[in-house]
Amino acid sequence: MPINYFLILSAFLFCAGAYGVLARRNSVLVLMSVELMLNAVNINLIAFSAQAQDVAGQVFALFVITIAAAEVGIGLAIVLLIYRNLRSPDLDRVEQLKG
Amino acid sequence: MGTPYFDYHALAPVIVLAAVALLALVVDFVWKDGGRRAVPQIAGIGMLLALIPVFTLAADGETRVMFGGAFVVDNYALAFAGFFLIVGYVAVLLSYDYIDEGDYYRGEYYVLLLTSVLGMVVLASARDLITIFVAIETVTLPTFVLAGWRKHDIRSNEAAIKYFIIGVLSSAVMLYGMSLIFGLSNSTLLSEIGSVAGGDNPALFAVAIFLTLAGFAFKVSAVPFHFWAPDTYQGAPLPVTAFLSVASKAAGFVAMLSVVALGFFASPNSWQPVIWVLAAASIVVGNLAALRQTDVVRMLAYSSVAQGGFILVPLAVSGDNDAARAGFQGVLVYILIYAAMNMGAFACVIANARRTRSTEIQSFSGLGRSNPAMAVVFTVFLFSLAGIPPFAGWFAKFVMFRAVLDAGTTAAVVLGVLAAVFSVVAFFYYGTVIRRMWFHAAVDLGDTGSPRVPGALVAAMAITTTVVVVIGVYPQLFAKIGDLAFRAT
Amino acid sequence: MTEFYRSYLAVAVLILAAIGMVGFMLGLGRLIRPVRAQEQKYIPYEAGSDPTGTFGQSNVRYYVFALLFVIFDVEAVFIFPWAVNLESLGWFGLVEMTIFVVVLTLGLVYAWRKGVLRWA
Repeated sequence: MPINYFLILSAFLFCAGAYGVLARRNSVLVLMSVELMLNAVNINLIAFSAQAQDVAGQVFALFVITIAAAEVGIGLAIVLLIYRNLRSPDLDRVEQLKG
Repeated sequence: MGTPYFDYHALAPVIVLAAVALLALVVDFVWKDGGRRAVPQIAGIGMLLALIPVFTLAADGETRVMFGGAFVVDNYALAFAGFFLIVGYVAVLLSYDYIDEGDYYRGEYYVLLLTSVLGMVVLASARDLITIFVAIETVTLPTFVLAGWRKHDIRSNEAAIKYFIIGVLSSAVMLYGMSLIFGLSNSTLLSEIGSVAGGDNPALFAVAIFLTLAGFAFKVSAVPFHFWAPDTYQGAPLPVTAFLSVASKAAGFVAMLSVVALGFFASPNSWQPVIWVLAAASIVVGNLAALRQTDVVRMLAYSSVAQGGFILVPLAVSGDNDAARAGFQGVLVYILIYAAMNMGAFACVIANARRTRSTEIQSFSGLGRSNPAMAVVFTVFLFSLAGIPPFAGWFAKFVMFRAVLDAGTTAAVVLGVLAAVFSVVAFFYYGTVIRRMWFHAAVDLGDTGSPRVPGALVAAMAITTTVVVVIGVYPQLFAKIGDLAFRAT
Repeated sequence: MTEFYRSYLAVAVLILAAIGMVGFMLGLGRLIRPVRAQEQKYIPYEAGSDPTGTFGQSNVRYYVFALLFVIFDVEAVFIFPWAVNLESLGWFGLVEMTIFVVVLTLGLVYAWRKGVLRWA
């Protein structure tokens, strides 16, 4: 199995995620796009790790997964805060603040 | 496998900080009433306590390597660890009254601050991509929460969400670069990446380096990755802004310096142009944008972007000829000095905001008459930021230009000239504030707060002023630290 | 065809079989059942009771529980590699993992003390 297939898949995922972060108006979708980017990183790491028979890549991926969970936790908390202050379920209003 | 090798002496600063952070958390939720008094004390003492092993390790002078080379305690690491702890202590001093008097007291504030500093101390020793990544996230994750500390203020929320989205985006970009570097070098250790970097590498290696550096550039808010900084700095609580603009920025530079000096150094063609462009753009855009600001926090935000550009100058030229040593030392010395003067400037802004409830530049009018001591101190910091002798800032600029001269290439000289020209531009916006303080009558701002400057703020100003004046007069002290830090490498 | 793709052939066959099976069953049902359109048949099925209102956002209160679950769930990944190597790590590994779990538990105790776990 050529490693390029994995790299192309992850590059595609990464670009899709980056597009989502930059273009999406909804902050929850932005968070999901970030997850997509981080998973692209994980695919890279696991593929390289398998190719080189080096466990370091898998360890790296484990840390990426756990820290991504913490990041999303904080991100959702901030989004929730804004939701409460604006007293509006309309997430587009959050995005007016983006500069 | 068995037990990995542990050197508890070398790990002591990290262990102490982690234990103190947990202790502060437990005290806060077990002892609700007394915690309000105890937690800030615990945080402050904890930072100083963690400094003790840093000093004993420095006195010992031995380089200690752990975890297969991923965690190294050498002079370089100790210099930055000590620096981060002192900055952390000053941040506690800056926060004390602000957090205590506002409606937002929570013991967690100090727990998060301690955790962030813990990440910085680990970062100083990190010599492997995984450790660097985990450390840098430990630095930034608590600061996302701190930026949004004033929960019911939509501006603080806005600061937090912008900082958060840019922060995670930059982490993702950095990680993608790191994953490619791991794939091409088959190692996460900077030393092994360094030996691969010198060889014949595919173009993808340069892309990987570019992505990693772009991720760091977000963290240090270098142009064109700076647009979050002014909004976040303005919206976040002022002590947090001071912490962000100094500590978390310095952490980004330390990560960048480690990765470049120990990892990518042997392939200058792939990292030097990137850093050159970042430095040049930051200097030009930062200084020009700072000229137009009417709010002192926004002005300091753009000024810190510009100062970040100056910090990058020695790094950008370090790959030429034998400028490496002078370049790395220049970065280190500039970071230390920048931290002292910027922290001090923010201490004055916080004190003034207590008095006038405003961060507009015009709120400084007449400060020279109403509180001459503070006006003098603020003038010292602004002079220092502008690089006027005899304050520390001139020495920072001096080491920067020395690195440029050591490199001596056309690109380096162009960057040097750019830095010189825009150092002059910087006089104008720092001068505006100074003129306001000394040559304008006070503006009536209506509802004003207490003119008293609380003790903790005075202490913070005293520490930073001492550093700025002493280093300005006797720069050999920091030069020696810079010398020691790069002796081993 | 390489060995790699051949090993995925089984997956393709399985997917086709699944589609065929579902198509066959639905098609068969369609053939033999009577068709009588009624209004009630188009109401979403909600465990037998009549649905109340349209689909809404889930309660914000779920967020904290979801967050706590996700964090503790994900941190558990560090326990798996430890468990595999427990014998070679010995007492040292046990002490290290105890510290890790104690720190995590402090987080949970913190949430409990702050009243996060109460359903109010």
